[in-house]
Amino acid sequence: MTAHTSTLASRLAAEAFNKPDIDYGKLSPLLIVFGVALVGVLVEAFAPRDRRYVIQTAVSIVGLAAALAAVVVVGLNVQSNHGGASLGSVEAMGAIAVDGPSLFIWGTVLIFSLMSVLLFAERQLEGGITAFAGQAAALPGTEAEREASSRGIEHTEVFPLMLFAIGGMMLFASANDLLTMFVALEVLSLPLYLLCGLARRRRLISQEAALKYFLLGAFSSAFFLYGIALVYGYAGSFRLGDIDTAVSSTVGGNGLLLAGMALMAVGLLFKVSAAPFHAWTPDVYQGAPTAVTAFMAACTKVAAFGALLRVFYVALGGVRWDWQPMMWVIAALTMAIGSIVAITQTDIKRMLAYSSVAHAGFLITGFVGAQQGIEVAGQQISSLQAVMFYLVAYGFTTIGAFAVVTVVRDAGGETTHLSRWAGLGKEAPVVAGVFAFFLLAFAGIPLTSGFTGKWAVFTSAWAGGAWPLVVVAVLMSVVAAFFYVRVIVVMFFSDPVGDGPTVAVPSILTTITITVGAAMTLLLGVVPQPVFDLARAAGEFIR
Amino acid sequence: MIAFWVLAPVMVVAAVAMVMARKAVHCALLLAVIMISLAVLYAVQNAPFLFAVQIIVYTGAVLMLFLFVLMLVGVDSSDSLVETLRGQRVAAVVLGLLFGLLVVVALSQATLGTVVGLSAASEQADGNVKGIAALLFSTYVFAFEVTSALLITAALGAMVLAHRERLTPKPTQREMVAQRMRDYATSGVHPGALPNPGSFARHNSVDTPALLPDGTPSELSISRVMRARGTVRDVSRDRLTERGIETETRQIEEGER
Amino acid sequence: MSATPFLILSALLFGVGAVGVLVRRNAIVVFMCVELMLNAANLAFVTFSRQHGNFDGQIAAFFVMVVAAAEVVVGLAIIMTIFRTRRSASVDDASLLKY
Repeated sequence: MTAHTSTLASRLAAEAFNKPDIDYGKLSPLLIVFGVALVGVLVEAFAPRDRRYVIQTAVSIVGLAAALAAVVVVGLNVQSNHGGASLGSVEAMGAIAVDGPSLFIWGTVLIFSLMSVLLFAERQLEGGITAFAGQAAALPGTEAEREASSRGIEHTEVFPLMLFAIGGMMLFASANDLLTMFVALEVLSLPLYLLCGLARRRRLISQEAALKYFLLGAFSSAFFLYGIALVYGYAGSFRLGDIDTAVSSTVGGNGLLLAGMALMAVGLLFKVSAAPFHAWTPDVYQGAPTAVTAFMAACTKVAAFGALLRVFYVALGGVRWDWQPMMWVIAALTMAIGSIVAITQTDIKRMLAYSSVAHAGFLITGFVGAQQGIEVAGQQISSLQAVMFYLVAYGFTTIGAFAVVTVVRDAGGETTHLSRWAGLGKEAPVVAGVFAFFLLAFAGIPLTSGFTGKWAVFTSAWAGGAWPLVVVAVLMSVVAAFFYVRVIVVMFFSDPVGDGPTVAVPSILTTITITVGAAMTLLLGVVPQPVFDLARAAGEFIR
Repeated sequence: MIAFWVLAPVMVVAAVAMVMARKAVHCALLLAVIMISLAVLYAVQNAPFLFAVQIIVYTGAVLMLFLFVLMLVGVDSSDSLVETLRGQRVAAVVLGLLFGLLVVVALSQATLGTVVGLSAASEQADGNVKGIAALLFSTYVFAFEVTSALLITAALGAMVLAHRERLTPKPTQREMVAQRMRDYATSGVHPGALPNPGSFARHNSVDTPALLPDGTPSELSISRVMRARGTVRDVSRDRLTERGIETETRQIEEGER
Repeated sequence: MSATPFLILSALLFGVGAVGVLVRRNAIVVFMCVELMLNAANLAFVTFSRQHGNFDGQIAAFFVMVVAAAEVVVGLAIIMTIFRTRRSASVDDASLLKY
């Protein structure tokens, strides 16, 4: 009899389980990206080898475009809360915040991903074959590798891997609890570790980059995880909103919270490649296939800043006075290291990597200001909006710049040593001119997107009281301008060494990417208002 | 309680030994000690489900994968403990100590309050496993589904990096026979098996070439690698007569070669 | 029993693991030390779960195990690739990328 009642009770308990309520419509951008990645895996399994490239490219482009359309549709139907303070809602049982900033970042990541897919699919530069290893399992320099390469074999698995990474990035920036954020961090990282090691040329360096990225990435995600554990110990929940409640209900900092916050910051700052956690950036950016570098530099940075801002503004906004000093130091250090070490670089990809570190510093400067939307008067923009604008501006420029790197070649593939770029201005004035334009945008010269972006983050940081940091940032911009100008001088005013570089004629795919990058860099420098308006319309994070 | 005080010193000692152990296999075994002890600590802390998963997934799958790779790489590949960056090890240990101190201070400062315990939650959810299931498939269902992307990535990655596709069809036995005969017809290569090392010679180690009926050694009976290295034993008749068979025999008995 | 001893144990294990990552040269051993750090975090999760009386921490530990399993596959695949090319798993030998 008792046994009977207990089974009945358990059955009742099972029925009391509340079925998860998920609004698939609002999550459709995420679901489309993951779904397309799965389709890609199936294509890999069932499509004949010679058709895979075409199918994969088409599936990826159509899928990303569909996801972008879904973002637009969701964005048009988004609801407004608290009298317009924030947009959107928390979905998937509280795991994902589909709010204004999320949608903005989703759109940004998807646009950059579309540009990167075109670089991934470029075949003309290598003579009818993609820039990824033919057979990653064949040892470099062996007969098997030569055979794979002479038969025109290529790994089309890179497309589904990239789509998984994109899905992870979108989830990372919109996760509303720390556990989902951790899973998303891994979903975005694992495919990137793999993609880094798949270069067709200079495979040893590429594999080494993958190893370094993997070991350091796993190390930093362990720190992130321990930070989550301590914050959970403090708040008793993973929800960002609950942590905020716990933070604001207790007075003063708590050891657990502070330690957890610092450790989580390590994990997040590693992903945005801020000093002193930037050591992987130059190695990985240099070793990875350039298309992957472009993808990482733009999309990972956007997603990681999205997550960084969400964690620190939403969950830890109440202890702002505790984390702001730490971020001040990190911002200054990042800008200084990125700008100063870049001067000594002789490799273009490495130099762009250090420039990416420096830009992370400028972005953190904007983030430190921590101007919340409510405090902002009139037409000013909040820190979040300034950072989002900067990310858009930086992403277009950086993808464009790395795309230019892929077309400057010699017999051994891409030639990235600075001395080999001497005289490029005479060899190929258009390519050199476009690259010079990108460098000027990195330096923040007026009429480029770099200037408006810097202006936006610096004003919001200044308004937030971080004026010493803004002074450092301006100084460092001047230092940085030095090495950007040095490259321009090398390209236009020195004579080529030996044969000099050749500029391969890329297919329409890379051309589109470079053109869009350059056009947007110019457009955001001249008429930035529409994107500012969009960022302002995105509002603040939902709480 | 007793379990904790028994296992905690064991785990710390194992962890320190793991960092100091020279051989990678020892590291893996010490890690196994830590993982199994952790499983017991989970059981002590009302987490029977995690106890099982820790044993099955972590110790059973993850650690075995580590051991498997270690065996592939070579068990005797011991780690060099030479410091390559001067002062790096000291700096690392100091940093580690500082970190430990920081966390310990943070933990002891933290007012954790009374332990709530999981009995109420378990009671309400009708057991630990059901409680976890209810949460996993409602609140964390999206994260749970997304882990599938992780697993697919892992499978895809392992395939890409480790699986080498056969580019040419494997020749069948019939094709191989036909090829041999064709070679014999065109270039006179003997279609039969190569002579074994040591045939008609004085001993049958792999570095001893087979002797042809006329007493000359056959190069074909020795592996190409040994020929290239020049470690082929010289068994030509001249040498045998010159040094005398007795000397050779004595050398072998004394194990000189 | 109070939660503090468990947490201190977990912090110790995490610290030892972190030192191991910095000190060791063999990539596989380095990765094992990372696993030790993840395990330490898991112990903290389970302890805090008991402390707060909810299952969220245990769920987190479960997720960490899933993630670690996937990470190990990818990581060991990368290490194996490097090893097959260079016959060495030492991180010192991976030194083509420098300033």
